Amino acid sequence: MSHPAHVLVDKTGQPTRDEAWIFRTYAGHTTAAASNALYRENLSRGQTGLSIAFDLPTQCGYSSAHPIARPEIGKVGVPVNSLDDFHVLFDQIPLAKMNTSMTINGTSMWLLALYIALARERGENPRDLRGTTQNDIIKEYLARGTYIFPPEASLRITAEMYEYCLDEVPNFNPSNVCSYHLQEAGATPAQELAFALITAIGLLDQLRDRGRLDQDAFDRVVGRISFFVNSGIRFVEEMCKMRAFTALWDEITLERYGVKDEKYRRFRYGVQVNSLGLTESQPENNAWRILIEALGVTLSRDARCRALQLPAWNEALSLPRAWDQQWSLRLQQILAYETDLLEYPDLFDGSPVIQSKVESLMRDAREEIDRILAMGGVKQSIDSGYMKTALVRSMSERMRRINAGEQIVVGMNKWKDALPSPLLGGEDGGLFHVDREAAAGVLAALQTTLARRDEGRAQAALAALKQAAISGESMMEPSIECALARVTTGEWADAMRSVFGEYRPATGIDGQKLGLTGERVDSLRSRLQTLTDKLGHRPRIVIGKPGLDGHSNGAEVIAVAARHVGFDVIYGGIRLTPEDIARTAVEEDADMIGISILSGSHMELTEQLHGSLVVQNAGDIPVVVGGIIPPDDAAVLIKRGIRAVFTPSDYELIEVMARMTAILEENHAAG
Amino acid sequence: MQPAELIASIRAGDRRALGRAVTVFEDARPLAVHKRRELLSACDAQNLPPRAHVVGITGTPGAGKSTLIDSLISQLLRDSPHRTIAVIAVDPSSAQSGGSILGDRTRIQGARTSQRVFFRSQASSLALGGLSRTTFAVCRLLERLFDLVLLETVGVGQNEIEVCHVAHHTWLVMPPLGGDHIQWMKAGIMEIPDVLILNKSDQSELARRSYHSLRSALALAQPGFRSVPPIIRTSALTGSGVDELVTWLSDNSAKQDAAERQSRSRYFFQRWLVDEYGRAGWRQFEQQPDYSNVMALASEDFEGAQAKVTTALA
Repeated sequence: MSHPAHVLVDKTGQPTRDEAWIFRTYAGHTTAAASNALYRENLSRGQTGLSIAFDLPTQCGYSSAHPIARPEIGKVGVPVNSLDDFHVLFDQIPLAKMNTSMTINGTSMWLLALYIALARERGENPRDLRGTTQNDIIKEYLARGTYIFPPEASLRITAEMYEYCLDEVPNFNPSNVCSYHLQEAGATPAQELAFALITAIGLLDQLRDRGRLDQDAFDRVVGRISFFVNSGIRFVEEMCKMRAFTALWDEITLERYGVKDEKYRRFRYGVQVNSLGLTESQPENNAWRILIEALGVTLSRDARCRALQLPAWNEALSLPRAWDQQWSLRLQQILAYETDLLEYPDLFDGSPVIQSKVESLMRDAREEIDRILAMGGVKQSIDSGYMKTALVRSMSERMRRINAGEQIVVGMNKWKDALPSPLLGGEDGGLFHVDREAAAGVLAALQTTLARRDEGRAQAALAALKQAAISGESMMEPSIECALARVTTGEWADAMRSVFGEYRPATGIDGQKLGLTGERVDSLRSRLQTLTDKLGHRPRIVIGKPGLDGHSNGAEVIAVAARHVGFDVIYGGIRLTPEDIARTAVEEDADMIGISILSGSHMELTEQLHGSLVVQNAGDIPVVVGGIIPPDDAAVLIKRGIRAVFTPSDYELIEVMARMTAILEENHAAG
Repeated sequence: MQPAELIASIRAGDRRALGRAVTVFEDARPLAVHKRRELLSACDAQNLPPRAHVVGITGTPGAGKSTLIDSLISQLLRDSPHRTIAVIAVDPSSAQSGGSILGDRTRIQGARTSQRVFFRSQASSLALGGLSRTTFAVCRLLERLFDLVLLETVGVGQNEIEVCHVAHHTWLVMPPLGGDHIQWMKAGIMEIPDVLILNKSDQSELARRSYHSLRSALALAQPGFRSVPPIIRTSALTGSGVDELVTWLSDNSAKQDAAERQSRSRYFFQRWLVDEYGRAGWRQFEQQPDYSNVMALASEDFEGAQAKVTTALA
């Protein structure tokens, strides 16, 4: 018997209701023990998967004891130095029942090796492991910045992980092609589609061309490719984007790779909804934004996500607290279990509006994909800076529209007056505070591991790893042996660095323009010209990012804006030590230093920068800081002599430039 | 700080002092010329004559200049335990705002780590020729403080000719190119370089073809009065060819002969005067009775001649 069109039926024709997607919360901080407690708490409240945030030293391949790591230990995620930390992190969490997503890229092979080694030591079967290592190195070059090795080596590492997992850990996704970060870096929906799909094509082409998989194995590999997607506030367009993704992926896997079995062509994806659009002003409004953005990836059954993680309402202010994450989790539970969403077939099939919008996105994306393929593919477009330049241009355009009021952001550029938020009350001011003393415990644990391990076995494991890296053999099994031998994260990465070298990318900011015009720009330019005449040179500003946090969009936009109003900008890029920045400022005889820090390490890093400047007789160079900096910290920084602190609420670029110019004018007037 | 003190601090390794001294040589205010003279006199007094080998490294954007310079510097630092190196990297300014983004520094590791390397970025300030208006002036200081000065300039074609007036030698870096490009380049800068560097030679097939068409093109293009420059194939990726560049450097030292220095100074003196006072100013200057005296002074004492003109026209 057939049912009306609104009834969802299963394979046997019986009415049914869909299973909910996996609920995750991106979490991890301070220490393995603190993170383990948080995970178990979240699971007990109804979370159904884990999403692990690692701290920056772990992501960039440094042990906690490395000088560049010290200010970052446990800040944006959990520090993992060795297998001992993994034992603590997953204590009392049954691996076979978990679906564990790890946001890890440059050191993805190492973290997968640790996970497999953990299963072996706990007597669990690695074949039962489920989850994902993010491992999309292309977007690290483009937007996120936690790459370590050059593209060639990175792509080989990813390929070897696929080849290994296919039979040894068959339910694990060795990588997640990320369009998430492309959107954060400014991508339009068509760019997001095109750049993510071209990344997947690059990956599959490489796996095919290595020639180590027969057609059957290759088809299964295609079935393991999964995506990690962003969902923004234009939720109708976002839903269409997801439908376009699904259709394009089917097209590519069928036509380009000849995958016959439909189940291997399915577009599988997880989502973190957009954090970029969350505002610092009137932060309570973000709760509504998160809800609406969740709808974009759940409403259409045919393009619904497999796993969803939501940010917290206060992420533009600080890392979320446990309660903030719980509030977001409750949203998912209400959407999945209270509403009737999961009871229907696809709601949008047959809608001419949706169909036309999807087709138009697909058309634009295909054009862009063909353009990049004609350039030689994803690797060439990274080398040439093509994709990066396109993203920076889109980002500049987005900032311009917000600045000009063409794109309304409620509470930020419109309806700015509001009652004070009671959510920001309470003892903690509505913010998460990192335990700054915990780093000592992490270092002590690392020392214990080093003291207890069999040094001969560790060194032999490292030598075998290097040998595999040089000879072209798979590095997976040697990495697992390293994990079992209690090699540290820094040692593993150093061994690989010694073979592959380290990558330093082209910045995407060459040749970029901001569309900012008008009286305020003209008046600023003339103020800078006056300063130039007085100083005898155009004011020089050194802009860079100290520490390991690689989110360079903010620093890039400021650099482009500074040139736009007439500064000479010495752009240092990411992953600089405070010493690098001080040296640059001294050699370039900078009139000002601007640093951007999003990792929460602003107190330590500004302190270190100040120290380096003083050592070089340059304590007088004015320093301004931008980033996610809570008001209390900002006040302390100002007290310590930082001349200005810019946060996400200072989105008006011209205003930021005006304040920087005023500081230089004051300095000059004071002689 | 007094000039003598400043120079002494620089010699003692004070980078802040060096950075500031370079700024004096970039200073566009008319009176700064007196400070420059004082600093150079202080150099003379402290027995710091010009000594550096000044090498201009030019080529199209994307030719891989910075990465190649990075490999070269690492090799030089390894090979000779005392050699000091200054790099001036010039990038274009925005015609709209006059501002610029200077990013070459990020690609030079030595600029982050070695105490024997000094790196300074310059904006071209819309000057033609791939150099900044002050590159020559800054060179006059740095050539007294370093063993090797590398000038990295950006641009293609006729614009590049400028660099050979500042540098003792000029290297042209090219990525592997097709034949059409080579035909086109013949007309422009092919007569300038002392060394042609075919970079990215790891892209083997294309590089091999480029090498052979370059060689045949050069044979035709050279009018005979200059020797055909060598073509060196390099790869910043694999490091190949960098040792050949090091060898070339040790075989070809700085040209410090008087005639060459004088003609260079006169050239930049004219350029400076045209920049400051325009073509009309230059024509007026040519009519002055002491024109030849000032030009003679310019070839010996560049800053002295500038001071004289500045005072006369103030």
